[in-house]
Amino acid sequence: MGLLTILKKMKQKEREMRLLMLGLDNAGKTTILKKFNGEDVSTISPTLGFNIKTVEHKGFKLNIWDVGGQKSLRSYWKNYFESTDGLVWVVDSADRLRLDDCKQELSALLLEERLAGATLLVFANKQDLPGALSKEAIREALALEKIKSHHWCIIGCSAVTGENLLTGVDWLLDDIAARIFTTD
Amino acid sequence: MKVQQGCNSSDMGIPVTTEEELRRNTIITPEDVLGLQKITKNYLCSPEENVHMIDFTRFKIRDMETGTVLFEITKPPTPAGGKKHCDPNAGRFVRYQFTPAFLQLRQVGATVEFTVGDTPINNFRMIERHYFRDQLLKSFDFEFGFCMPSSKNTCEHIYEFPALSEEIMREMILHPYETQSDSFYFVDNKLVMHNKADYSYSGGP
Repeated sequence: MGLLTILKKMKQKEREMRLLMLGLDNAGKTTILKKFNGEDVSTISPTLGFNIKTVEHKGFKLNIWDVGGQKSLRSYWKNYFESTDGLVWVVDSADRLRLDDCKQELSALLLEERLAGATLLVFANKQDLPGALSKEAIREALALEKIKSHHWCIIGCSAVTGENLLTGVDWLLDDIAARIFTTD
Repeated sequence: MKVQQGCNSSDMGIPVTTEEELRRNTIITPEDVLGLQKITKNYLCSPEENVHMIDFTRFKIRDMETGTVLFEITKPPTPAGGKKHCDPNAGRFVRYQFTPAFLQLRQVGATVEFTVGDTPINNFRMIERHYFRDQLLKSFDFEFGFCMPSSKNTCEHIYEFPALSEEIMREMILHPYETQSDSFYFVDNKLVMHNKADYSYSGGP
């Protein structure tokens, strides 16, 4: 039995997954986290640290980490990379002015060795806003097609209405499960 | 996160420890408290050992099925310099008062919010152990890892309520505050904080 197989089996036993949610400030990370877990989202303040939820979903134990996205906090992101199975990159689809900034930050993350094994889900958030760009426009702006290093998917969503949050998370879990929990 | 329900530490190969033994140690580690077989009588560290100024500012419990908040307390941040005038154990102890219906809940979400002083913490870990009398009901073990300096963080554990026998539930309702918990907090595997709570399910103070 190879080491990888043993590791896969160990993870399978616990069926635990670590999801890391990042993105620029005001992208809606905390709102997504709260809405996904059925919490009130009427008053959300900027995250100056992290918010964690541990929850069981579809037979998996999920540890979801939402880390603050303000510029001054981004240098701390690296402290949360270890053991990440899924990276959720949240985009404010209405924030056209910072799309380039958003692209740069994502590109930098995808070069990180400790995130090399993570599946990437991009949430094109705030689709409920009239000025929001479509997920196709976001896909292009972030040059997602060029990503060969990670499994990825982009989903248009609204954290406020909850639209597509479950679809996105379920895609992510299925992809991770197929990678880690399937033994050959 | 590791959650054990009602199992004995000796089953998991962790040496059994006692409060009296640990009290003689200068450093208390996660393995030490995982070996404890019952609720501690006293705090295993002093408030002064909290050199990272970790401050718990909110506790909340909600019922996941209805979304109802069953319990919430918030604590204003400890004012700097004002500490000497307060009870040193204030803020280390929480008393929860529930009705018997609480024991019938299926899934609850328990949130803590904490702030951190102006130096970063590399490895922050929490171990929480719930007992009724001397029986371990549940043991949580969660590693927060890194905490940013001057940060405010939250963590909600959403979990299924442990399956308890009718008899134990009846006893827990009849004997308020005999359900108790120890929360141990470690920085770099050294105990820096110890909080306690007790619970009533009898519906009144």
